[in-house]
Amino acid sequence: MIGKTSESIAEVKNAVKRFPAPEGGVITALDGISLEIQQSQFVTLLGPSGCGKTTLLRAISGFEDLDSGEVRIGGELVTGVPPYRRPVNTVFQNYALFPHLSVSGNVAYGLEVAGVSRSECNRRVGEALERVGLAGFDRRKPSQLSGGQQQRVALARAIINQPKLLLLDEPLSALDRNLRQSMQIELKNLQHDLGICFLFVTHDQEEALTMSDQVVVLNQGRIEQVGPPKAHYHQPTTRFVAEFIGDGALFSGKIQNTTEDPILFTEDGLRIPVGVGAKVGDSVTLIIRPEQLDIAKQHVEGSMGILDVVLEQSLFQGATNKYVCQLANGSTITAIPTAAGNEAFSRVKPGEAVRLSYRRSEPHLIIESEHAG
Amino acid sequence: MPGKQENRRLIALLTPGSIFLGIFFLGPLSVMIVYSFLEPGLYGGVEWNFYHLNYGRILGWADGEWEEFDPVYAEIFFRSVRIAFTNVVITLLICYPAAIWVSGLAVRWRTFVVFIITLPFFVSLVVRLFCWVLILRPSGFMNTTLMGLGLISEPIDIIYTETAVLIGMAYIMLPFMFLPLYASIEKLDRSLVEASSDLGAKPYQTFLRVILPATLPGIAAGAVLVFIPSLGNFVVPDLLGGAKVLMIGNLVEQQFLSARNWPFGAALSVMIMLVMFILIIFYVRRIGRSEIAR
Amino acid sequence: MKLKWLKRLLTLHGLLFLFFVYAPIIIVVVYSFNSHPVNMMVWKDFTFDWYLSIFGQSTKLTEQTLYVESTDQLVGAVKNSLIVAVSTTIFSTIVGVATALAVYRHHFRLKPFYQGLLYMPMVMPDIVLGIALLVFFVNFSIQLGMMSIIIGHCTFLISYVFVVVSARLAGMDDSLEQASADLGANPWITFRRVTFPQILPGIVGGALLAFIISMDDLVITYFIAGVDSTTLPVFIYGMLRRGVKPEINAIATLMLVFSFAIASLGLYFRKRS
Repeated sequence: MIGKTSESIAEVKNAVKRFPAPEGGVITALDGISLEIQQSQFVTLLGPSGCGKTTLLRAISGFEDLDSGEVRIGGELVTGVPPYRRPVNTVFQNYALFPHLSVSGNVAYGLEVAGVSRSECNRRVGEALERVGLAGFDRRKPSQLSGGQQQRVALARAIINQPKLLLLDEPLSALDRNLRQSMQIELKNLQHDLGICFLFVTHDQEEALTMSDQVVVLNQGRIEQVGPPKAHYHQPTTRFVAEFIGDGALFSGKIQNTTEDPILFTEDGLRIPVGVGAKVGDSVTLIIRPEQLDIAKQHVEGSMGILDVVLEQSLFQGATNKYVCQLANGSTITAIPTAAGNEAFSRVKPGEAVRLSYRRSEPHLIIESEHAG
Repeated sequence: MPGKQENRRLIALLTPGSIFLGIFFLGPLSVMIVYSFLEPGLYGGVEWNFYHLNYGRILGWADGEWEEFDPVYAEIFFRSVRIAFTNVVITLLICYPAAIWVSGLAVRWRTFVVFIITLPFFVSLVVRLFCWVLILRPSGFMNTTLMGLGLISEPIDIIYTETAVLIGMAYIMLPFMFLPLYASIEKLDRSLVEASSDLGAKPYQTFLRVILPATLPGIAAGAVLVFIPSLGNFVVPDLLGGAKVLMIGNLVEQQFLSARNWPFGAALSVMIMLVMFILIIFYVRRIGRSEIAR
Repeated sequence: MKLKWLKRLLTLHGLLFLFFVYAPIIIVVVYSFNSHPVNMMVWKDFTFDWYLSIFGQSTKLTEQTLYVESTDQLVGAVKNSLIVAVSTTIFSTIVGVATALAVYRHHFRLKPFYQGLLYMPMVMPDIVLGIALLVFFVNFSIQLGMMSIIIGHCTFLISYVFVVVSARLAGMDDSLEQASADLGANPWITFRRVTFPQILPGIVGGALLAFIISMDDLVITYFIAGVDSTTLPVFIYGMLRRGVKPEINAIATLMLVFSFAIASLGLYFRKRS
């Protein structure tokens, strides 16, 4: 994510923000965050509640003042500039549609306030409503609309002002699952058509992975990792990211060599063969994804690692089964085998011992450095 | 279908109130309306004849025999409406920013501040007005302090003027305007204010386009709750206005206690009631409907 | 930034507002201790004398001032006020609660009419109600005295109690009553054990409100009081019309303290609910 400053549409440098905690003391929402956001990208801020993603968003839109640090939009310093003077628009989580105005009144609001002529307003409102698929809804009141429709009005109201950056604060969280998924696709297409940079906040990692060009994972006011979705999934750089994104089993320990191949020794006695990349003596975290595990064949190749487990239960998932197994140290590991493996696996009964195999080079190794992000 | 037992219970609960209010509320009102059409007797009391001139007199007509055209009553009526309306405006201007301020305080402080604002309301009207008499008199607190400080050389003649009446009325009616306003302002969805700002509206634009329309029900409720008592008030003009500022309430009081023209006084009261009804119907129709639509 | 100035202005307005509300009251309380015999707004010395004179003790100071008001009248007025307030409170609370229960627990054809009827006395200007009652009593030759005052007060206090208790009923979770019925309790027991404890704060609040309003009522009482029975507010009003005396400050302060105490009591009960 290192682009030339002239390409980035927004920049945050060393942003710090603290709030007084209800029980006394201080909560650090942003702990010295620096971030560059490129033009025309769909960027998602992802993290659990309290990680600072919404605070960061509001610092960019102007509703939170930073304790220290700066924010630039389009190269200009905007720290201290009120929201109504920033070239940024927000889609609020609860949509915040004006109940006393009609749909077209809502959508035209930003234009009217800027003094755009009536005829020009009407034209652009018509365009915006068509773009979000609400042509003909202009006279209705927000109270007469469904959740999904309200959300589109909120979108139209924001994009009609042609902002440099569109901020979306968990806009899909109130929608039901099917609607959510179709809206994800629509939003992605909209962003692509408009060419505006979208900065999207969510706690749902599936959503982030589906929609984004870039994902920024935040935890307790700090950035854990920045990069395209694939990077987070296949090469997480910190333990937190590895746990937060996707399913998998994590193992921490030190690398030792008893034979030629490196082996991870965990504290509770597991020995897990790993691939190359770490030196002897390194402290590492290994993440094994379910789809990397299969039932071991009779003859195992040298490049495979083996795990001895006991099957706890098998879960029907539709396409395949998920097999929840227990390792020697009592922890759980889940396997999603191939179709062939599934055949064999389905004959194993709960409580029986079984061997799992994986290519040693596949599971990702995180070499613990001093501090992540 | 309500069961028999439930019906009996309903009747049992409803009867005492109905009888009491029927006799002692609707009864008096009806009698008063009837009286407004009766002829005043020569030495007080009433003659049981239909007499339409009570209302006529309010508008200034005469019956050609005993009375000349005199618009003084119409003047008093309009003055009362004017003062009541001015009072609404004054209390609105005072209370609106105050209500916004209170709703912006930390939650812990809010209930406390609302409490201490409404607390004086529980003190007798006479006492609170009396305070102002003491302050505004020529020898009162305001004048003695200002003269003592050397700011003025002669006492300011404020008591027994309309200004004093307005001050007193505003002071009395403050809670009636503050509470509905505050209720409405507190309910305001803050994210709407943020959305407006986000879309580029400067603070005054946000106020006119979002905050004001949203708090309109509170303003309307406050206006009605202030206007009606202000219109019929006689204590404030009496204590702070003396004989110089006559309002319709004073007129009614005179008719009943000194002039002994009860039918005329009744007619005046009915006029006040009519204004009240018109206002309430107007309020229920326009504001009530938009509240239901929400 | 402009917004900061706006906020500061707003705070200033708020504080001035509070000052405006309380300044007159504070002035009266402070000057009730002022010993200046002629101009009570010019500070001379601190004294309790005016308070003493209210309670019948005359001091050198009060003997100098030649007013002839008797304390007996004052005491009589206070007694009357209390009698009226207590009687009215009891009656209007009972009737108000009964009516609130009737209206909010049942549906019947005349319901909107009833609700309108009950709201009317509260919105009506006092003077109209006072006149109407006067005319009514005189026309039917009912003597004006304590009884007429009590009846007059009940007329509008029933509405106040009704509104307060109704609000409480509306906010009640009626699934509780359904649960009680489901567990075998008949309507009377459900009322006694479930409904009543829930609305009790509302009843207490309504009663306190009625008490205070009755004690403070001026206009309606003024018209229907008759010659022999005066209540405290009417008495003070009369005093004010006849000319102001220093004792008034002390009386006013005492009334203030009393009202504040009752209102605080009311709030205390509400907080506990």
